[in-house]
Amino acid sequence: TVEPLEYYRRFLKENCRPDGRELGEFRATTVNIGSITTADGSALVKLGNTTVICGVKAELAAPAVDSANKGYIVPNVELPSLCSTRFRSGPPGEEAQAASQFIADVVENSQIIAKEDLCIASGKLAWVLYCDIICLDYDGNILDASAFALLAALKNVQLPSVTINEETGLSEVNLKQKNPLVIRQHPVATSFAIFDDTLLIVDPTAEEEDLATGTVTVVTDDEGRLCSVHKPGGSPLTGAKLQDCITRAITRHKEVKKLIDKVIKSIKPK
Amino acid sequence: MAATELLSDEGYRADGRRPAELRKVRARMGVFTQADGSAYIEQGNTKALAVVYGPHEIRGPRSKALPDRALVNCRYSMATFSTGERRRRPHGDRQAGELALLLRQTFEAAILTQLYPRSQIDIYVQILQADGGNYCAGVNAATLAVMDAGIPMRDYVCASSAGLAEDTPLADLSSPEEAAGGPQLVLALLPAAGHIALLQLSARLHQERLEAALEAAGAACHALHAVLDRVVRERLREVTALLGD
Repeated sequence: TVEPLEYYRRFLKENCRPDGRELGEFRATTVNIGSITTADGSALVKLGNTTVICGVKAELAAPAVDSANKGYIVPNVELPSLCSTRFRSGPPGEEAQAASQFIADVVENSQIIAKEDLCIASGKLAWVLYCDIICLDYDGNILDASAFALLAALKNVQLPSVTINEETGLSEVNLKQKNPLVIRQHPVATSFAIFDDTLLIVDPTAEEEDLATGTVTVVTDDEGRLCSVHKPGGSPLTGAKLQDCITRAITRHKEVKKLIDKVIKSIKPK
Repeated sequence: MAATELLSDEGYRADGRRPAELRKVRARMGVFTQADGSAYIEQGNTKALAVVYGPHEIRGPRSKALPDRALVNCRYSMATFSTGERRRRPHGDRQAGELALLLRQTFEAAILTQLYPRSQIDIYVQILQADGGNYCAGVNAATLAVMDAGIPMRDYVCASSAGLAEDTPLADLSSPEEAAGGPQLVLALLPAAGHIALLQLSARLHQERLEAALEAAGAACHALHAVLDRVVRERLREVTALLGD
């Protein structure tokens, strides 16, 4: 399009978007769980064209001295040059680092997993969950897709049971007996793009993100509590508008929860 | 000796295949929208993704531009969760660098680069799950992705590995078979003319036995060619059906 901003404004005036969505409508969301068998848990999430894969690898390590009864969760978001021409190859760029930090904050704030659950023997042995999120196709709203992929992958994790032999002090891993993780909360992220300082549109595509004057991401948990509100600068927003965002985020949470429950149920019978 | 375990007394391999049998291949072209070309392939439990951008203007220093042909830029990375042990460095390690170089050389031999002077073609390969023959799966996926991008090539590039158990050649090695330490041969073939784009042998092997291994790898490449060709034709049928209406 020659005048992309003007083009978008005309659509937005009629309360719709060039791809046919309403302003408050998400793109079609699909999730595929457990497709990577080398990972302890994995999920592939598609949000329209945006495709993100998350693989969780569990390793054993000694817990930190100041928190002897806690394990670790290490999230990492990768935006390789493969997913879009806007990213260069080489060390992670700013956007990838910001996304990694955002996901780490969500994990920390929402208490998605109690880190105490990852501890096997206090001060001796604990699980480290490496959650690597790779974007395969970039079309905006990477935060929502990453958060969803992480949640779905963690729901899919099966950890072998580990016991410490009292006599020898060595750990014994029983690969035959596998247990799922206890997921305490289901944080769901909902992103908005702000157009012309006033108009809010949900789940922006890459093009919409580029044209927007700002973005907001709201993360809510099962009880509708806020885990994180992320507004990295951009145009200012009134409190009332932010309330609207939160209300929309709570409805989105219900949609995502329903979808994930359905997918988990569909793979359970095996 | 490790080689004896590769083949049971009844002549079957550890995963139940016959010596010349390939693993199940599933492939799809045009999986992503952002890229100019993309493809996904599963060969047994090995899952690879290839994405192609280009031909486009040279990125970075202009001095890299070649006056008579296109620059082929390759990148090979393995997801941290693709192997049994977590990989510390998903890309940028020596192995990834070497495989990217091999990939570039393979595709420089196949793509008609002289049609696009002073431009660049990017081929990115991502291994999502590794179970042997990672490079081969990467080449096969990249072939489909280059075709999906509409970049003219001399021919398909089909890659397969082969090994030897005593005197019996084994086609398309899986990860435990690779780890067994027998001779391994990686072949990238332009099947129509039977031209070899790349051949790598990573063990000591008597010259007389090379023939048999090479033949097995060649046969595997031809079998793969048939599968890839079917995928391409199917894709074309889909696309033309969409355009036709």
